[in-house]
Amino acid sequence: MTRYGRQIEIGPTDNTSNERTPRNRLHLIPEEARASFAPYAPYNYGINPGEADMTRLAPGRPRAEGDPIKVVGKVTDEFGRPIKNSLIEIWNANKYGRYTHIEDHSGLALDPNFLGIGRTLTDQNGNYEFWTIRPGAYLARPDINRWRPKHIHMSIRGGSSRMITQMYFRGDPYNDTDPMRILMGDNFDKNIGIEFETPEDDFDCGYKFDIVIGGRNPTFFEDI
Amino acid sequence: MTHSKAKINRLTPTNEDTLGPYYPISLCDNDSMDMTKIRRGIILEPRGEKIVIEGCIKDINGNLANGCLLEFWQANADGIYRTPLTETHPKLDPWFNGYARHRTKDGHFSLKTIRPGINKGLEQPRAPNITLTIFSDGIMRVVTQLFFDGDPTNESDPLLLAIDENLRGRLMMKFAGATDDGLKKYTIDIIMAGDNETPFFDDLLS
Repeated sequence: MTRYGRQIEIGPTDNTSNERTPRNRLHLIPEEARASFAPYAPYNYGINPGEADMTRLAPGRPRAEGDPIKVVGKVTDEFGRPIKNSLIEIWNANKYGRYTHIEDHSGLALDPNFLGIGRTLTDQNGNYEFWTIRPGAYLARPDINRWRPKHIHMSIRGGSSRMITQMYFRGDPYNDTDPMRILMGDNFDKNIGIEFETPEDDFDCGYKFDIVIGGRNPTFFEDI
Repeated sequence: MTHSKAKINRLTPTNEDTLGPYYPISLCDNDSMDMTKIRRGIILEPRGEKIVIEGCIKDINGNLANGCLLEFWQANADGIYRTPLTETHPKLDPWFNGYARHRTKDGHFSLKTIRPGINKGLEQPRAPNITLTIFSDGIMRVVTQLFFDGDPTNESDPLLLAIDENLRGRLMMKFAGATDDGLKKYTIDIIMAGDNETPFFDDLLS
């Protein structure tokens, strides 16, 4: 007998979401097959110095335009157990809302001192920290004047943990019309960085963004 | 959900989000779509039959889904996955990780690997399969498994038996002759939405 899981919803006003979201409900995985759905990524990444400081292209280079911010947080599973030694990949637009990606054809201003790509690892307690520039919002759908709010993309990978998510900013006027924010409903709060002051450091402010990876994958093969 | 009682003390998961269109291509510099070579410049190779899988990801209109990030995961020729639980397993293959990642610019992919074995360490053996995770703009992570068309063990695979019979064919990689260097080639189209939609699985609620 077929057993069904979630129905993925389509992000309103998001064309790609409409084109790529499965219309059928997901199928539940029978217990015998469950372990094979937790890919175990080999830990073979080396981080270079300075990769967690996205405010400069390299140590000693000029700082990028815009407000430098610090993002810190802890990555855990649903039981609060830390996800250690995981690779966090970070990418975000510059202060004008432009990515350095070769396929970003928006024509918005580039900042020659901002790459917008960083990497770091979580430590033994699951904590991470990186520095970047607060990204700008950008017009994603000119035809209907729908903007993407400020956001920072993050990918977490290591062992059987896997998540790609985005950190948003409280009070951004474009949050309420963002397609994926609408789908998140009240749980959107989980994806907002909590602002804190950084009087001792040269940042505009810091954001605390704790990440909880759901499901059984994160610790499938770990000692529990 | 079967864990309702245990759920009470759980943290609320962070929402997964879309990949977006601008995943940094350079972060894939060390990725490979050749599972038969886990270290460059080494002549040693994994056990098993080398094969090539060619496929594509399509959207609801039949157009190729560009910019997706694909992750593949499979057992070695003896059906053993490389995980912390199998680190000392005698049939673990030192030259095989079973993991590959690829950002597809136009929606196509080509994976060189070895044919996975039957995973026997279970009450009900698993037919040879490859787990595929897709990250894309417009949608959160989706996962499925791909099987070899005509493999006799498909008939008793617990995952295939868990979906309607008429959907099973959509997870089948079909034999499509040989590559230029004589390897067996298999092909599959992944349809993300609409007619002939590929069955996807729920690894959060399962």
